[in-house]
Amino acid sequence: MIEIRFHGRGGQGAVTAVKILASAIHLEGKFTQAIPMYGTERRGAPVVAFCRIDDKRIRERDLVHEPDIVVVLDPLLNRSVDVTEGLKAGGLVIVNYPGNIKDTGLAGNFKVAAVDATKIALDVIGRPITNTAILGAFAKVTGLVKLESLAEAVNGELPSRIIASNVETMKRAYEATTAPANASGFRKTDVVKRASTQPLISYSRVVSDWRISHPVIDKNACVGCKRCWVYCPETAISLVDGKAEINYDYCKGCGICNEECLVGAIKMEREEV
Amino acid sequence: MVGNKAVAYAVKLARANLIAAYPITPQTTIVEYLSEFVASGELPAEFVTVEGEITAQLVCLSGSIAGARAFTATSGEGLLYMSHALHHTARYWAPVVMAVANRSVRTMQPDHTDLLAQRETGWIQLYCENNQEVLDTGIMAYKIAEDDRVRLPVAFALDGYVLSFTAEPVSIPEQEKVDGFLKPFKSKYPVLPETWDAELEEYKKHWQQGKGINEPFTPFAGDENFSHLTMVSWGKGHDLQWRWRAHQEAMMRAKKVIKEVDEEYGRLFGRSYGGLLEEYRCEDAEAVIVVMGTLASTSRVAVDNLRKQGKRVGLVKLKSYRPFPSEEMQDIAKRVKAIGVIDRNISLGEGGIVYGSIRSALYDQVEKPKVLGYYAGLAGREVRVRDIENATEKTLKAIGSGVMDSTATWIGG
Repeated sequence: MIEIRFHGRGGQGAVTAVKILASAIHLEGKFTQAIPMYGTERRGAPVVAFCRIDDKRIRERDLVHEPDIVVVLDPLLNRSVDVTEGLKAGGLVIVNYPGNIKDTGLAGNFKVAAVDATKIALDVIGRPITNTAILGAFAKVTGLVKLESLAEAVNGELPSRIIASNVETMKRAYEATTAPANASGFRKTDVVKRASTQPLISYSRVVSDWRISHPVIDKNACVGCKRCWVYCPETAISLVDGKAEINYDYCKGCGICNEECLVGAIKMEREEV
Repeated sequence: MVGNKAVAYAVKLARANLIAAYPITPQTTIVEYLSEFVASGELPAEFVTVEGEITAQLVCLSGSIAGARAFTATSGEGLLYMSHALHHTARYWAPVVMAVANRSVRTMQPDHTDLLAQRETGWIQLYCENNQEVLDTGIMAYKIAEDDRVRLPVAFALDGYVLSFTAEPVSIPEQEKVDGFLKPFKSKYPVLPETWDAELEEYKKHWQQGKGINEPFTPFAGDENFSHLTMVSWGKGHDLQWRWRAHQEAMMRAKKVIKEVDEEYGRLFGRSYGGLLEEYRCEDAEAVIVVMGTLASTSRVAVDNLRKQGKRVGLVKLKSYRPFPSEEMQDIAKRVKAIGVIDRNISLGEGGIVYGSIRSALYDQVEKPKVLGYYAGLAGREVRVRDIENATEKTLKAIGSGVMDSTATWIGG
């Protein structure tokens, strides 16, 4: 049996990813199981989902504690979540990461493969939903599933209008992913397990590491209408001298303020990794 | 497919034509899938949106009496809110079928306390361990409910999250085969028969002559083996007790019907689930564990692991909690030396509900095995294979030890 654990953030599609993967591998004749872990759903909060693959019907109903493969949908997640916890020796991590593979912050007795899933998703789908991109990378690195099966499985899991772009995303990620590297000599980032890993209300929790981008306010353009202040789900915006101001500790980078601003005073900028 | 989709497919294949439900996690997507089937025309049914679970149940009840094949689904708090309407449906002997995605009250994760707390409502209760069984049980539920010897509502349960949102391969039977298995539903008595007064008197005589449940009561207005007596609000004062007596009789008859339906399903579709309970590797077993729902699936792995070590252990999967398979448990008790009951539920102030039922069923046995109780997976706590292995080994070790200890063990906290 092969056991896989997916790490992502609410909104990146980790649950859909395991379902697509399980369906695709089942299409190739194997038995699979896709387990989502639902809590209090909240965009940006760390989430996990699991997938099991076997030649016979899977009976285990507990979660995956010692995965063979770990898939990480977010480049910053390993700073607050120990994504390689329980990973089998010599296992594999597939991570969404834009830079050099040596700098992912993951190090240990396992292999790492990286792909800039966020960039591919933004280029093709126009939104930073990284699940289908990372599945393309999964197909390339593991060889456990064919790209065609994934494309077929997407049909059952996504709305028809976004299928073509997601299939294209998978293909691009498949092509962009290179062979995995041994991570034993890499530099390891310390995992700071903060309360922010819990999906709770942020006025008492720092959520700054949930962001893939952050809003920047042009004080000259801001007319102080309070529209962003009303819509911010994290109450991270206040009005100082009649202008909106963001407390970045409590901003999770959802971009709702950017959507709601009527005078174009807010711009989203990619977070540095 | 996920467990909730398996339920929706079962309802569609059973050609239910009345659906009424109110949303509650983890049940909600069951009726969402069904609403898609109805909207697309794949399932010709009346979909009634209601303002709460009581109404959902009462819509199903009245629709069922009028001749509809009715379906509803709920979970946890929603089931509790529906509770008094469950009694109504059962008292009217309306063969409504309900899916319960088990949810622990005050959390969202699964345990069986929500549905077990409804065990006195007079509904048949069936529990499932995987999504294939969920689909198959949904179809069988209608066959059991609508059998003339039963005519009682059936609730079938799938563990919330563990099945409701977990996707795995499920084989969908062909519609023609299901149609051959499950004939169209006809309400027996959409209107009150004129003879019901006289029938009650006949029914009383049947009991007063000491015939009891061993001889079926054949009402002169109804079909063979079927009494519509409990369908109508007959009797006043002490007469009402007769209704409960007839209901109990129908519940006991349901044991045979559940077994028959399961066998027939197995013949036609190649999958059966042991009727009221299933034994797994119990032949020559010294100790067995008894579980319900998805714990059975995990327990199979645990039993296989222990068998590999040469330990003579087995699993009893309780599929039907109401009616309770007392005779089957007594038969198992004669063959084994210890029984470990793992309850994913608790009756606070007494203990595990299944544990109590099994000990009660075995009380008349002269030679009793040891019966040990365990609590696991309450409020959705994860139950791992090694947890079950530990409980099974503990049960095995109890053989030959002196006193029977009725204090149950908490697994994992």
